[in-house]
Amino acid sequence: MTFRQARWDEPSVWDLAPPRNAEAPPQISGIPEKLRRKNAVRWPELSELEVVRHYTRLSQMNFGIDTAPYPLGSCTMKYNPKVSELLARRKGAAEVHPYQPEATVQGSLEVFWRLERILSRVTGLPEVSLQPAAGAHGEYAAMLMVRAYFRDLGELAERTEVLLPDTAHGTNPASAAMAGFTTREIPSKEGCVDVEELGRAVSKKTACFMLTNPNTAGLFESEILEIAETVHAAGAMLYYDGANLNAILGVTHPGRMGFDVAHLNLHKTFATPHGGGGPGAGVLAANDKLGPYLPVPRIVKEGRRFRLDYDRPKSIGKIKTAYGNFGLDLRAYAFILSHGEEGLKHISRRAVLNSNYVASRLGKLLPRPFRPLVKHEFVLSGAPLKERGVRTLDLAKRLLDEGVHAPTVYFPSLVDESLMIELPETESKRELDGYIAAFERALADTPENLHAAPRSLSVTRVDEVRAAREPLLSWKDLRAAGEKAETP
Amino acid sequence: MARWIPDESGEEAALLEGLGISSTDALFTDVPKRARIGRMGVGAAREEPDVVAEVDRLLERNRPLSHFSSFMGGRLTSRYSPAAVDSIVSRSEFYTAYTPYQAEASQGMLRTLFEFQSLWVEMTGLDVANASLYDGATAAGEALLFCRRLHEGARFLVPASLPWEERSVLENYASGPGLRVEEIPYDDRTGRLDLDFVRTAVAKKDVFGLLADVPNGFGHVDEGGSELKSILGDVPLVIAADPLSLSVLEAPGNYGADVVVGEGQGFGIAPSFGGPLLGLFACRKEHVRSAPGRIVGATLDTEGRRAFALTLVTREQHIRRSRATSNICTNESLMALAFVVYATVVGPRGLARLQASLAEKARTLASGLGAIEGLKAPRFDAPYLGDFTVELGRGTADEFLDRLRRRRILGGHPLHDPRPASARGPERILVGLGETTSEKDIQKYVKAARAAIEAVGRSA
Repeated sequence: MTFRQARWDEPSVWDLAPPRNAEAPPQISGIPEKLRRKNAVRWPELSELEVVRHYTRLSQMNFGIDTAPYPLGSCTMKYNPKVSELLARRKGAAEVHPYQPEATVQGSLEVFWRLERILSRVTGLPEVSLQPAAGAHGEYAAMLMVRAYFRDLGELAERTEVLLPDTAHGTNPASAAMAGFTTREIPSKEGCVDVEELGRAVSKKTACFMLTNPNTAGLFESEILEIAETVHAAGAMLYYDGANLNAILGVTHPGRMGFDVAHLNLHKTFATPHGGGGPGAGVLAANDKLGPYLPVPRIVKEGRRFRLDYDRPKSIGKIKTAYGNFGLDLRAYAFILSHGEEGLKHISRRAVLNSNYVASRLGKLLPRPFRPLVKHEFVLSGAPLKERGVRTLDLAKRLLDEGVHAPTVYFPSLVDESLMIELPETESKRELDGYIAAFERALADTPENLHAAPRSLSVTRVDEVRAAREPLLSWKDLRAAGEKAETP
Repeated sequence: MARWIPDESGEEAALLEGLGISSTDALFTDVPKRARIGRMGVGAAREEPDVVAEVDRLLERNRPLSHFSSFMGGRLTSRYSPAAVDSIVSRSEFYTAYTPYQAEASQGMLRTLFEFQSLWVEMTGLDVANASLYDGATAAGEALLFCRRLHEGARFLVPASLPWEERSVLENYASGPGLRVEEIPYDDRTGRLDLDFVRTAVAKKDVFGLLADVPNGFGHVDEGGSELKSILGDVPLVIAADPLSLSVLEAPGNYGADVVVGEGQGFGIAPSFGGPLLGLFACRKEHVRSAPGRIVGATLDTEGRRAFALTLVTREQHIRRSRATSNICTNESLMALAFVVYATVVGPRGLARLQASLAEKARTLASGLGAIEGLKAPRFDAPYLGDFTVELGRGTADEFLDRLRRRRILGGHPLHDPRPASARGPERILVGLGETTSEKDIQKYVKAARAAIEAVGRSA
């Protein structure tokens, strides 16, 4: 595909109109002199049209799902339906304050309640909270719940360790550590949990085993029931990272697989837009053991009325202001209504079909490290490229020139020069074939061209080493260094 | 069935054929039979018009802010957002993007985040801001952990007037590493922090940080805030600042703050029943390697052109795993875009004028309410910018607010912790104002408040 991204020599806002910050802002009576701002905030005064043009131009130098396929593995970048955007902007959704009296927010409470009930059926876990702002936030809250559970059992002093496979997302060990646990990684065998290793690792010290299934190698952990048995036999909890739920809707669920607590990412499986890094929306689902520890408030239905219930003595309390990210929850609810039972099942069948189709083609070009049957994503190794002096990173950058986003690269780390590719159910066969052709062209290109990529974007290869070595993190830094935000 | 899964009949057959299989069942043989489920029980699919009708039917059970004269205040506002903000936020090149891992494809969002970071740096007087956190409360939680990385100790001090939700979130962040959150008492007349308490606590050497909010949980500006750093010495000071207040108040970096966090929802982000919100975080340059969250830095491309990239990533979970400074992966980038577009459309002088106008309206309302027997408004004798606290002499805050609601007034929100185990304390309401609050709304509130407190008195 011939492709050229917009290339505006757009300055930063402060270079559009150098700020006049000399004058003091208006004085407010009663504010003591020492707390008054002496100079107005140093920021430009621009016309609304100038502001709109500036950010419109910046948007033209950004890839989104609406621009092109976005096969970032483990990120489930599927189409974000426009109807959800429409609904989230309704006055009855957007212009509602979380501290309004319950009688005036019955609609919002019912949306939460209905979505929680649906997600309880999707996860097979009875208790659900929508409070987490993101997946990692849900992981963290879950670890706090596990902690509180073992404290109540009087076992917290002993159960200090969280186990995870070496394929785990980085957020898993980070969340466990923030919740005060030490972490230990279990080496994988053929890309999956080595159940014997796990059996040797679990003990009375184990609080929890955190697992993604399918895992980040795109493989279903077929020994999941044995894993659950092993973990539970040691008295520990089993945690489900729902980042890869898109592969298993209606086939299995965390409850049936034996998980005690789970998080989901509504911005992955349930198509809420990820906003260039966020917002997300996390879901916590728990069984009867951990359910009482979920954050407050919980949404309860009494007769025909909905209420925020704070009377949960075992609850860990709050993990965020207000309740959940309602704007995202509503989008996810509309997405689920649109699909229904059969549609949700179809999502996973098609996502896995897309993934295996592309994997079988690309597997002829680059080695696939594990067994051929994958779920919603797959991993390739770019190691053979090294013979030509090319690395996975070069291939990823060259793919950008084809007008498609790059895959996730260098993760999972147990595969040398890994590429992790996920093309969800909303990508048509034409797009898949187009992606395969783009991949073939990129791979067949000369090492010189691969090193020189990308050439079709608003900038050429970005020097990330320089960014870290000489950090320029704000306009203040640029001023101090005597540099402008535009091309120096 | 949703049409977002392309052409069910034709092309799936072709994909299956390409794989040499006859059904997608062959793709799930790795899921053991015992782990299989039957129906989930989700219900049948709806067509788009039905989905819209169904959701609208639910939303009609809400009474949006426009139905009322609204006086909702505090960290989450019901302030107006210029239409230009949502227009930019609705550009799908921004809102359908993922985290900008591939810098070359994502310069638009990266430059926007760099501008956002720069704005928060200018507002706070600090050196480095991150690219956002979930909300103000979790930003305070991250600040607590950040302080512990800078300083030894087990106690983190916060005002007793801190909103209960933030206190609860902080207690959770403290609980993992076994730290304690402790309350600083306040003066009953002014709501000011008891600085002698702080002095005594700091002298015991196990305080690793202190958070003070500006305005505080009662809506007031505590002039003692500027003295805190001299008491704390090398113990880190966190200021939780309302961004709008910083248009007229001294930058906290100039009176010793080591961290400034905040809730950014008031800047162009609809309240949306509590989310998405925006967590703000800034710190000093020498501490940047301990900072949580994503950070965008300026660099060059191979042709010497200015470019931006996520940087200092060795702090982060995907590299450092259990030793990361935070578990943050998703943040609130799109809300950061809204924040910087809002501030730039309104402009620094516009922000200060808005704050001044809210302060003026607040004084009118407070003097009206303060003249009513049975109400103390403002409850504390201290300066305020827009929000203030009303204390009821009788009845409960919920009952009082319910009477106002029946006259189509949202009179603010109760300040007490609603969990049954917590002490309820005095009946207090935090009241706030917005751009659209008119003189008529204020008079309506005063009149209704008089009737409400009288009725509460009669029934008591």
